[in-house]
Amino acid sequence: MSTDQITEEAIRHLVDEFYIKVRADRELGPIFVRAIPGDWGEHFATMRDFWSSVMLTSGRYKGNPVAVHQRVEGIELQLFDRWLALFDETCGELFDETTGAAFSTKARRIAESLKLAVFYRPDRPWPKSASESASNSTSESPP
Amino acid sequence: MTFVVTDNCIRCKYMDCVEVCPVDCFYEGDNMLVIHPDECIDCGVCEPECPAAAILPDTQPGLENWLKLNAEYASVWPNITIKREPPADAKEFDGVEGKLESYFSPKPGQGD
Repeated sequence: MSTDQITEEAIRHLVDEFYIKVRADRELGPIFVRAIPGDWGEHFATMRDFWSSVMLTSGRYKGNPVAVHQRVEGIELQLFDRWLALFDETCGELFDETTGAAFSTKARRIAESLKLAVFYRPDRPWPKSASESASNSTSESPP
Repeated sequence: MTFVVTDNCIRCKYMDCVEVCPVDCFYEGDNMLVIHPDECIDCGVCEPECPAAAILPDTQPGLENWLKLNAEYASVWPNITIKREPPADAKEFDGVEGKLESYFSPKPGQGD
C-alpha cells in the first residue's frame, strides 16, 4: 500500500493543493467556507494530521470525523463524489499512479463510511456508489 | 462498512491498534477489544498493526456474529486509546482456536 512517495512532505503538499481547489469549487466552496469560517490554518493542520495518521500510521490525528460531518450545514450525498473527484485530480497532479491510487483508495473507503454515518436510514434503500460498482466490475473481470 | 475484532484477540489483547486508530473507536473488555462500527471510518490503519491478525474488514464473509458482538460490547465497555502491557501469557494464546466459546469474558476492561 505505502510507497516511497508517501511522506509528511507529500501529505502537506496534497492538503494545501487540494483545499485550494475545494475553496474555489462552485459546489464545495460555499459549504466549506461556511463550516470553517475565518483562518484555515487550523483546518490545514488537522487535515495533515489526519492523512498522516491514515497513510503513515503516525497516530497524530485524534478526532471524531463522523460527528464533525453530521454537523455540516448543507452537506449532501452527491457532494462526496465531487470531493473525491477533486481529490483524485490533485493526486493525479502531484503523484505517480501507485501513490495516487493509495490515497484515492483510502479516501473512497473513508468517504463511504462517512456517507453511511451521515445519511443512512434503515428504512430507505442505500444507493450503490459509483466507485464501489467500478471496483466490483474490475474484480469480476478476468485478469 | 467497518473493521471488526475477531476471535484471536481474546486473551491476547495486544492493544497496538488503539494507538494508531485516528478516531478512537476501540473499546476494552476484560480480555479482548472491540471496534464501534458506527465510529470506525474504515481507514484500515489498525488491520496490519494487530500482532494477532485479529482485525478483519466486515466485507469478509462469515463475520456477521463478530460484527454483532463488536457492536453490542462497544456500547457498554469503556473506550481505550492508550496502549498498556498486554497480558503476560498473550503469546501462549495467540493462534488458539475457538477462544470465544472457552475464554470470552463479557466483563468490561479498565479503559483509559
